[in-house]
This record gives sequence, structure tokens and C-alpha cells, in this order.
Amino acid sequence: MKRLNAVLFTALAVIFLLPVAATVVLSFSVDGAASLQGWGDLLFDCFVFYPQFWNSVIYAAVITLVQLVVIIPCAFGFSQAKFRGKGALFVFYIILMMMPLQVTILPNYIGLRDMGLINTPFAIILPAIFSPFGVVVMNQYMKNIDSSVIEAARLETNSVVRIMLVSVVPQLRVCIFAVALFVFADCWNMLEQPMLFLKDTTLQTVPVFISNAAEYAGSVMFPAAVIFMVPVLLIYLFFSENLEKGLTFGDLS
Amino acid sequence: MKKLLQKWNARCLLCMLPSLIGTAVFFVIPYLRVLYYSLIDNQFRRNFVWFDNYAKTLTNEYFLLALRNSLLIIVICVPVLVALALVISLGLSFGIRAVRKTRFAFVLPMVIPTASAVLIWQSVFTDTSTPLPVYLLFIWKNIGICIVLLTAAFTAIDGSIFEAARLDGAGKFKLHTKITIPMVMPTIFFTVLLSIVNSFKIFKESYLFFGTNYPPDHSYTLQYYMNNNFLKLDYQSLASAAVLTSVLVFLIVMGGLAVQRRYRQ
Repeated sequence: MKRLNAVLFTALAVIFLLPVAATVVLSFSVDGAASLQGWGDLLFDCFVFYPQFWNSVIYAAVITLVQLVVIIPCAFGFSQAKFRGKGALFVFYIILMMMPLQVTILPNYIGLRDMGLINTPFAIILPAIFSPFGVVVMNQYMKNIDSSVIEAARLETNSVVRIMLVSVVPQLRVCIFAVALFVFADCWNMLEQPMLFLKDTTLQTVPVFISNAAEYAGSVMFPAAVIFMVPVLLIYLFFSENLEKGLTFGDLS
Repeated sequence: MKKLLQKWNARCLLCMLPSLIGTAVFFVIPYLRVLYYSLIDNQFRRNFVWFDNYAKTLTNEYFLLALRNSLLIIVICVPVLVALALVISLGLSFGIRAVRKTRFAFVLPMVIPTASAVLIWQSVFTDTSTPLPVYLLFIWKNIGICIVLLTAAFTAIDGSIFEAARLDGAGKFKLHTKITIPMVMPTIFFTVLLSIVNSFKIFKESYLFFGTNYPPDHSYTLQYYMNNNFLKLDYQSLASAAVLTSVLVFLIVMGGLAVQRRYRQ
């Protein structure tokens, strides 16, 4: 039984890994023969790839960090404040989180156009910062934390910021790492937004580059895909230990 | 004391303000404009035609086809995805060591870029007469995030509960169906919601896989319908389809919350 389990899981893991392995293998082959030409083309001939790689890094990093600065206080306020329609507001966030991209992208586009932000980095960064996913997850996790610590902290200080930093953020650690990982991965994979909201190639990102790779040289696609995978993998490896410490959610309703 | 409490309440509300303002500016206010677009005849004349655009959309055979296909993905793929993720997560969390080590393999597809994954998919699946390749691509790509969430939830369960159940003579199967799964039910529910969200995101993959704005009928989803109207600059069809889709999502969420409430009682 145990051996059967191990074999089954290994087989399943191999099936899941195959496309990833194929990407790496294909990056070292051109027209079916082993070759470094793809890597050479990408690193020495595609100068547009470098700024686009850094754009991807900067967009995803800024979005992730600023989003955390927005959602941690929001979840804190949400758990502490008493007001009418609190439940309805949370359901609203859930519904917004569930909206398909094709529904939100038109409102996003209209909003950005009216503010004159189309074809600027802000067109990518600003709407993503306020993506509702993090708020929902953080709020859920906030229900599990020990509120007596907050009560105790309130006797010592009146500063909301200090209470948050000293007694809330440490308890949210695991959740913060998880949200950071998911948000970063999500931004890193963004394709429609940069395609629709940005025109200059110098502002574009790696997923757009890979989708248009044929315009440069077909051979650069898989090497670019391999480079693309590295940052999220590094972040996952860095955070996965924290995730394994446990992450649970309370009831959504 | 009451005054202080009110002040504390006010400051907590203040903490929520950045998120609320951002949500209003980038989502709610523009959405209201989309609502307005869905009620007028066109961008220039701006005459109110009320529900004409909706009537047109709801009788449009492509919209109905797209709606059916999008719902099929939710009904077929999401349960399969979550069930498979659940089984794999149980193995990863409670299985033997050799099994636990495979965890990384399931997370990897999360990070592979769409365009290159699709290219590999195209070389494996040459038959495009069924939507199966895109369904499999969806499950392959999204199982990682489900597994991360579920295994993290399993880890958080207090181990002494298992000890107690084992002493009471519960078998492995019973242990999981009676204790493990019920205890992580909220996480499973969240995983289902997230997978529904992700089922809408599979358009990118589908679009690149079929390489056209007009895929075979079995794979023509709401996202194609909207994308094509976006390209045609048909704002009225797009706006009414967007509003109808948002109503659908609203109903799915309310239904899901009602189910969860009933389950808990």
C-alpha cells in the first residue's frame, strides 16, 4: 500500500513536471538539435528583454509591497471597527474578488483613461494594488488572531500604528507571506493589462515579450520562459517554510 | 469612555479608508459608468434605451453559447480540480516521506508562463474537437495554489485530535473523512471560490491554444464574447454582457455563502 502510494504520487508528480522540464530542455534546442543559439539570441540580441524584465520585477514588487501596506490596516480596521453594513461590505469584497478580468478590465480602462494614466506604469500598478484578493484573505485570517493582545496593547498606547506593528503584524506573519507570494505570482503573470494599458515596448513586461517572441526570433521564447520562472520559484522556496507552518481560514460568512 | 471608544472606532475606520478609496476609484465608480453605457444606445447620442442592450445580449446565440461553456467549466473542472487537490494534499501532508517530497512538482506549473506552456500543450494535444486540452491545462496550472492552501490548513490542525481519534480506533479513511476534511471546510470553500475565479482566467490559455478569436463552438466562452466586442469597440454589447456576468457572479457568491451557512448549522 505504502509503496503503491509512493509510485502513484511519483508518476503524478512526473506528469505535472513534464511541461516544466520540456521548457528547460527546449530552451537549449533550436529546430530539434541541441544548441545555445536561443540563449545567445535572447541575451545578446534582444536588448528590449532587459528593460522588460526589470519592469516585471518593479511592477510586481511595488504592487506586492504597497498592497500589503493597504490591506493590513484595512483588515485590522475591519476586525476592530463596529459599523453598520460590515457583513455586506465584506460580501462586496468577495464578489469583487470573484469578478472575471473581462468584467473589471473595462471599468479599469475607463477609470485609467479619464485620469490620463494609460501608457504609464501607474496603469498597471494602481488597479492591482487595490485588487480585493488580499483584503479577503487577510480579513479571514484576522479572525483567527488573539484579540486579547490588542486589548492589552490598547491599555499601553493609543497609537493605532504601534498597536498594529507590535501586536498584529507578528500574528499575521504567515498570512502576510502567503498573500505576498500569491500577489507577486499573479502580477508576474499579468498579460492582458500590460497589453491593453501600455503601448511603449520599453514599459512592457516579460509575459508580453514571451507572447510576442515570434516577432523577435522564435528561438528566444523558451530561454525567456526559463528566466521568467526563476524569480517566483525563488520567492516560493523562500516562503514555503513559512507556509508549511499553517494557514487557515475562518468562515467566510 | 464612550467617547474614547467612538474615537477608536473612527480610527479603525480610517485604517480601512485607503482600500475603500482605491476600490471606489478603480472599480466601483468606473463600474457605474459601465452600467450607464449598458443603458444607452451609443457613445455619441447617449439616448436611454433602458434594457434594449440586455434584451439583445440575452437573445444573442453566441452570448448564450458562451454562457453555457463558461458554466460548464465551473461545473466540471472546479469540482475535479478541488477533489484532486484534496487527495494530493492529504497524501502530501499525511503520507510517507517519499510522497511528501513530490510537493514541489505540483507547485511548479503555477509559475510557468502561459505562452510557453501553451506551445508545449499544442504539441501534445493535436485534437481540438473537444475542450479537454484546455480543461486539463486549467487543472494542471491551478492545482498548485489549491495544494498550497489545503496543505497549509492541514498543518494548522492540532495533532492531538488525531491521537485521540486513533485511540478511539478510527481508521485512516474515517480519520480524514470525519476529522481532517470537516476541520478545513472553510479553506475548501475558499479554494472552490478561488478556482471559480481562476476558471474565468483560463481565457488567456484557451486563446493562445486555439490561436484565434473564434475557437470551436465547444470552447467559445464568455471571455471570447467580451474580448471580441472589446476589439469591435461595441461598448454597449460589452457593457451589458459585463453587467450580466457580474450579476451571475453575484448569484454564485450568494449561493455559495448560503450553502456554507447551511453546512455549518
